[in-house]
Amino acid sequence: MSAPITPYLEISQAIQEVGGEALRKCYQCGTCTGTCPWSPITHFNIRQLIRQGIFGLEGIEEFMWHCSTCNHCVSVCPRGVEIIDVVRAVRRVYSEGGLLPESLRVFVGGISSRGNPWSGDPGKRNDWAQEQFPLFTEGTEYLYFTCCTLCYDPRNVQVAKATAALLTRAGLSWGLPSTDVLCCGESIGKVGDTMQFERLQGVNEQFFQEHGVSKIIVNSPHCLYAFKKEYPGTYEVIHTSELLAGLLKNGTLKPTKDLGGITVTYHDPCYLGRHNGVYDAPREILQSLPGVNFVEMARSREQGYCCGGGGGGLWTEREKGERLSDLRIEEALGTGASVIATACPYCISMLEDSVKTANADDKIQVKDLVELVVTSLE
Amino acid sequence: MSRIGVFVCHCGLNIARTVRVDEVVEFARKLPGVVLAEDYKFVCSTPGQELIQESIEKHRLDRVIVAACSPLMHEKTFRKVIEKSGLNQYMLTIVNIREQCSWVIEDEDKATEKAKAMVNGAVYRARLLAPLAARFIDVNHDALVVGAGITGIQAALELANAGRKVYLVEKGSTIGGHMAQFDKTFPTLDCSACILTPKMDAVLQHPNIELLTYSEVSEVQGFVGNFNVKVRQKARYVDHEKCNGCMACMEKCPGKASSEFDELLSTRKAIYIPFPQAVPQKPIIDRESCTYFLKGKCRLCEKICQQGAIDYEQQDSEISLQVGAIILATGYDLMNTEALKQFGYGSYPGVYHALEIERLFNSTGPTDGKAVMRDGREPASIAILHCIGSRDKNYNEYCSRVCCMYALKFAHLFKEKTSADVYQLYIDMRCFGKNYEEFYHRLLEEDVKFIRGKAARVTDRALSPEEEGKLIVEVEDTLSNKFMRLPVDMVVLAPAMQARRGVEDLSRIFNVSLDKNRFFIERHPKLDPLATHTDGVFIAGACQGPKDIPDCVAQAIGAAAEAITIIGKDKLELEAATAFVNQQICCGCQNCVQVCPYDAPGYLADKGASEINEALCKGCGLCAASCPTGAITARHFANDQFMAELEGLMQY
Amino acid sequence: MSFDPKILGIACNWCTYTGADLAGTTRLHYPHNVRVARVMCSSRINPAFIFRAFVLGADGVLVGGCHPGDCHYSTGNLYARRRLAVTKKILEFAGLEPERFRVAWISASEGNIFAETVREFTEQVRNLGPQTKLAAQKRMLA
Repeated sequence: MSAPITPYLEISQAIQEVGGEALRKCYQCGTCTGTCPWSPITHFNIRQLIRQGIFGLEGIEEFMWHCSTCNHCVSVCPRGVEIIDVVRAVRRVYSEGGLLPESLRVFVGGISSRGNPWSGDPGKRNDWAQEQFPLFTEGTEYLYFTCCTLCYDPRNVQVAKATAALLTRAGLSWGLPSTDVLCCGESIGKVGDTMQFERLQGVNEQFFQEHGVSKIIVNSPHCLYAFKKEYPGTYEVIHTSELLAGLLKNGTLKPTKDLGGITVTYHDPCYLGRHNGVYDAPREILQSLPGVNFVEMARSREQGYCCGGGGGGLWTEREKGERLSDLRIEEALGTGASVIATACPYCISMLEDSVKTANADDKIQVKDLVELVVTSLE
Repeated sequence: MSRIGVFVCHCGLNIARTVRVDEVVEFARKLPGVVLAEDYKFVCSTPGQELIQESIEKHRLDRVIVAACSPLMHEKTFRKVIEKSGLNQYMLTIVNIREQCSWVIEDEDKATEKAKAMVNGAVYRARLLAPLAARFIDVNHDALVVGAGITGIQAALELANAGRKVYLVEKGSTIGGHMAQFDKTFPTLDCSACILTPKMDAVLQHPNIELLTYSEVSEVQGFVGNFNVKVRQKARYVDHEKCNGCMACMEKCPGKASSEFDELLSTRKAIYIPFPQAVPQKPIIDRESCTYFLKGKCRLCEKICQQGAIDYEQQDSEISLQVGAIILATGYDLMNTEALKQFGYGSYPGVYHALEIERLFNSTGPTDGKAVMRDGREPASIAILHCIGSRDKNYNEYCSRVCCMYALKFAHLFKEKTSADVYQLYIDMRCFGKNYEEFYHRLLEEDVKFIRGKAARVTDRALSPEEEGKLIVEVEDTLSNKFMRLPVDMVVLAPAMQARRGVEDLSRIFNVSLDKNRFFIERHPKLDPLATHTDGVFIAGACQGPKDIPDCVAQAIGAAAEAITIIGKDKLELEAATAFVNQQICCGCQNCVQVCPYDAPGYLADKGASEINEALCKGCGLCAASCPTGAITARHFANDQFMAELEGLMQY
Repeated sequence: MSFDPKILGIACNWCTYTGADLAGTTRLHYPHNVRVARVMCSSRINPAFIFRAFVLGADGVLVGGCHPGDCHYSTGNLYARRRLAVTKKILEFAGLEPERFRVAWISASEGNIFAETVREFTEQVRNLGPQTKLAAQKRMLA
């Protein structure tokens, strides 16, 4: 028999004061938990987290770091509860109380000391470009804002290079930001560190304003989300999938090389699909490439399955059997695809890891759409 | 100088909590023309009304201002009050200091200031009011009922039994509505047909009911007591005067289509009646599936019919009716669940919606009443999913009210007809009606399994051998805090009851507003649930909001009673606030003739001026604002009266 | 204390006035600034009413009617729509900020929209400051 519980409304109040007041609307139907990618494999129960939040009960802090902010529950919640806001508020209240998991400390530390989650040298942000590509100056049309993960993570650097090559080939007027810019801050915000988010936002926004940026190209749907939905500026933010779909459609880029009848499936990044409503552009790209047989996974588009990389998940250690990307690779293999394409650096990292742990390197490759387009042009 | 009495109502604390009533009274007392200002707790109560009457007498008041609730609430009440004391009823002005003031303004000072300004406006206006003569019109004693589901049938029978002539218009080719599709009804498990078909027959036989099936109202003109209605009867291609209902044509007809009545689970002929007990028992030809209409030859039915009733040349026809009152009983549509992809309706054959289940259970249905699935198998396990598209901000925020109960009914019938395990996936069990909770209890005893959680998804992706070949429902059992994968053979969705498709047309034709969910709006949600803002047009049943059969029937009877209060009279009093033309000023431009939707103004060539037929005038004031010379006065909303009100409103 | 505008509202009986009642019965709070006069139909509104209100010192005028196509008198609000559009032009011609005059179509079921409209419009007028252009003519009335 456990001890009786008593409401601790001060905690509930605190959660609501930092942006979690949406929890009042919840009627505890369980749709969120039924939809949540974690439910089948862990004890993380998002409905229960909200329940505990309403009364300020103990036990919230144990599982709250699982949520990868994939937005699936929010999109189906019958009450319109902004569940991610609740999660962010709960995390903020508890992390201010010093309850940050060990693995996230490295991430948060990197952000606060070096302005990027990989603790990379800020001055070497553009080193991947090897001075081959232009910097953004007054009069340049597009700013290509390279996600920190594309700058510092060796696997994703390849995506950055492919993107830069495509932008050049398409003859666009584009340039890279100087090394003054920092991480977009989307993930640190979701972890609940509002102060750091605001600092990053301030630095980047200042760069955008000072340089008169009006159009920003991003690879990362997380940057897309931050610039579009969280930053104050009025610039246009374009994801590479939308940009490329347009360039392919108007004939600026002409894929000619046959990719040899490979079967490709597409993994919807949560922040591109459910958070930003971009579902068609990636599929249009894949279907326009010669020699690509495109297949859907059962859980796609609005029903897409999360890789687990959002909401700080990319930097959180998880036991085997508790990794969403492992399940996603399993599902992809089930379609017979030899390539799983996606359009997000976090998804690439997560899925690549799972391919390695599953020893499936010879069966399936993880590719960014940009990489596939580059290959088909050669 | 006028002698105005101002009565300020506290409305308990509804007004007095935010408006300082004594201050408003003090303010009113000092206004020119005001001889008396008083406050009272509830001015609309009997002592409140008596206070007004006594004051009129004692202070020789010639005008009365009541500062209380909305005029839409009690204007009529207070008009009667002052009329009893010998004042013309149009010498009343209502100031709405509740809905417009105390209920919407938090700050006491500001609410009080606004109340004063409003009273000031009313005093300015009241000084210029003039008595208006009462108008009466003759009343047509017949009624129109639109929609012949259980609600329309009941309403028509009530009116007919009270000796009124009723036109019952039904869009479909048979009457009976959704209830005719049902098998049993909760919680008594009465056979739906057994209680409905006698009523359907009574409609057919009743000398006072003229039944117009396969017909739709296309136009309504006129107003309470005298509506002119146009009904379009669609071509049936069968002359029902000649047809004797032998059905020989149906047997031989080669044309086939999915049966709408069976929710597409069976087929019907191109010449058909929707179901064996249909009323009328006479077929129609569906052009879309008729071989002759599609290919130009066949005419088999024509050869078989000994009555010569088949008429391929038949055209839509138009019927004109005159009635004094109208009851709308146009019912609901079941929500189309294909858009809710997570539940797999339309992609997994094992997923059904509620009306399909009704037809499966029905002995005249596609399976002759056997609970078997599309593949002919009897399900060994069934999950019934509640609140599909109801109580859901993404679709319909409201509760559909009947689903919990019919879900229980389904569970009972599945238990009766199969040996299946039955699961109910619910958010809250809402069993509010008489004997409903008891029925819930009974189902628990019948070993139905209740899972408190809204289903999140239905999938056929098996993760274990036990799940192979099953549909798996993913849900959290919120009572054990556990995520559950529930493998079943059959999934039943309980979709929302929604407003009818095309209800916007009805709204326009009958001039009845729709709420945000596209249901008709009643005049008052508690005290006037069957009337609408259009006098003489009433609503009953599910066209006003989701309802079960007992509530529909009760409303039908109520609406019939409401209609009789109008068509039972010989004369009706009309609003006296009509427009009139000063022919000395009228320049004969005929603007008024052109703009009036009621043809009230007419041009008199000999006088070179217009004249307004007061019997036709509805008092909207459009002509007055359109008149270039100011020859037209809108009584009770005249320029000087309105301008004075503005001055009063803006003074402080 | 910032500027507290005085706004005249004119609402049709069947839609906007009923919608305002609904805002009341559901206890939606909105600013006190709008004082509503009722007409049976928005088509009754003579442009002179609007000018008069401004001359009498209104800082803004808000007119509400049924949604076009939903008029209780079938077509009245369509005439009102045209007439009030011209009225706005004339106000502008007379040197008044057109933002001081708004026509909103609010149905009987849209209590929340009524409240929202009053909130928004009050803010809009507040930001414009006191109306002096036509109010200065008030002496001429007398």
